Amino acid sequence: MTSTTVKERVDSIVKEVLRVDSAKIVPSSRFKEDLGADSLDLVTLIMALEEEFKGPISDEEATGLKTIGDVVDFIEKKAALQIS
Amino acid sequence: MSPTRVFVTGIGIAAPTAIGTDPFWRACLDGIAAVAPVPSHWLDYYKPFSTLWAPLPAFDFQEYNVNRIERMQIDPATVLGLCSCKQAIDNAGLTLRVKDEKKNTYTLEGLDASRCGVFIGTGMAGIASFALNQAFHCFSPIKERLGEDSRADNLLRMPTRFNPFAVSQIMPNAAAASIGIKYSFTGPNTTFTNACAAGTVAVGNGFRAIRAGRCDVAVTGGAEYLGDEFGGVFRGFDIAKTLVRDCDEPEKANRPFDAKRSGFLFAEGGAATLILESKEHALRRGAKPIAEVAAFAESFDAYSMMAIDPTAGSIKGMLLKVLDEAGLAPDRIDYVNAHATGTQLNDEIEARIIDDIFGTRPAINATKSLTGHAIGASGAIEAAVTALSIRDQAVHACKNLETPVRDLNFVTVAGPREIRAALKNSFAFGGHNAALVLVRP
Repeated sequence: MTSTTVKERVDSIVKEVLRVDSAKIVPSSRFKEDLGADSLDLVTLIMALEEEFKGPISDEEATGLKTIGDVVDFIEKKAALQIS
Repeated sequence: MSPTRVFVTGIGIAAPTAIGTDPFWRACLDGIAAVAPVPSHWLDYYKPFSTLWAPLPAFDFQEYNVNRIERMQIDPATVLGLCSCKQAIDNAGLTLRVKDEKKNTYTLEGLDASRCGVFIGTGMAGIASFALNQAFHCFSPIKERLGEDSRADNLLRMPTRFNPFAVSQIMPNAAAASIGIKYSFTGPNTTFTNACAAGTVAVGNGFRAIRAGRCDVAVTGGAEYLGDEFGGVFRGFDIAKTLVRDCDEPEKANRPFDAKRSGFLFAEGGAATLILESKEHALRRGAKPIAEVAAFAESFDAYSMMAIDPTAGSIKGMLLKVLDEAGLAPDRIDYVNAHATGTQLNDEIEARIIDDIFGTRPAINATKSLTGHAIGASGAIEAAVTALSIRDQAVHACKNLETPVRDLNFVTVAGPREIRAALKNSFAFGGHNAALVLVRP
């Protein structure tokens, strides 16, 4: 799993769930403040990411995911852990 | 002043035999039935008496305004309800406008949303989602304790998570609410849970709301999904010995009104939507009526949770009431779309009731002989079949009817039939009975 692939997949899920312009999809974008996500959107986003990456994301883990970049880093680390 | 006339102006259907009103109706007239062995992994849990069901065909829910994200949040019964609703809206010639792209919601052009109501029946609502979430709830700690070395993995079937939308997946009003939200209908929005009569009751209540002047448009029907991951819903009906027992020849197992009937064929699910409109509203927007709803009546057996009252007093009273409301004598009914489940008791009593009230004149058929029994959706699917029969002046045949239980005018060959007035009745577990009279507009 290359970094670009994870990033592309995360970007695509964020776009599908939050329906925001591609221009706003950058690593520093914060879900709530920059992309207008409410609490239901965040729950939905986590669910869609779990489905996409075929693994559970705990509530504690989800709480730390504030930006698109956070999600990409988190999934890459998680994948690295599973491989090792 | 004569009461407001109510027209059926749009129909949508999702059933085991086909998704889509036109292919479904063609399949009915062609005598195409749905039947297959139950999923093999259900047999890991127990050994059923019945081994057949009527599965739904695969379909692309995105064609019916349900996106992938929404699909994760709603029960299959709601997906089916939304699928038939979108078809009915298109069939009624109504135009959609996107309201909110993110929420994937719409408004209907030219309609006063506050005068549009939603009336949906369901028997088991989100029971499949309940089963799945409950499986995660119960099995995930077991699986964790068993670790890698688990010989029970095939039994510990569960999703990867407990769905955060579990409550709104499962609640009985989910399909009606989803339809209301999806198309911005803000009139009365109600769910009817009268088991096998729910769909019929929902259509009837939509009809009454228009008659009472509470709505101009009523989105009515039923939605049901019974194919839970573990076959537990199936087991409930199976253990009560209500399902087809004679399974050696699958194509012949489902045989309502036949002497050799052995129970009903369990359907994975289904849905139908009938859009009802006041005559004035329909004419104003140039809608073409498919059929007219002339009367609706209900009764309750107060006899048994599982068995129909053999004296049939409550059902006969209801039929006389519905005929009276329609202003029709029994000999004016040309066609009866029967409840006709294929159980010993139902078909015997229903045939006797028809004989007593209508005699041998009306054509009678059993839609469940093709589709199996989709519980809360069945009455709506069959009301839709009744409306289509009136539109096309044609009836489908009773599949597998070789030796009729009684000497009545059962349809054994599909074809043209003059239908000015028709009856659709449904009888439910619990003892709920409902009847609609539909006429040629």
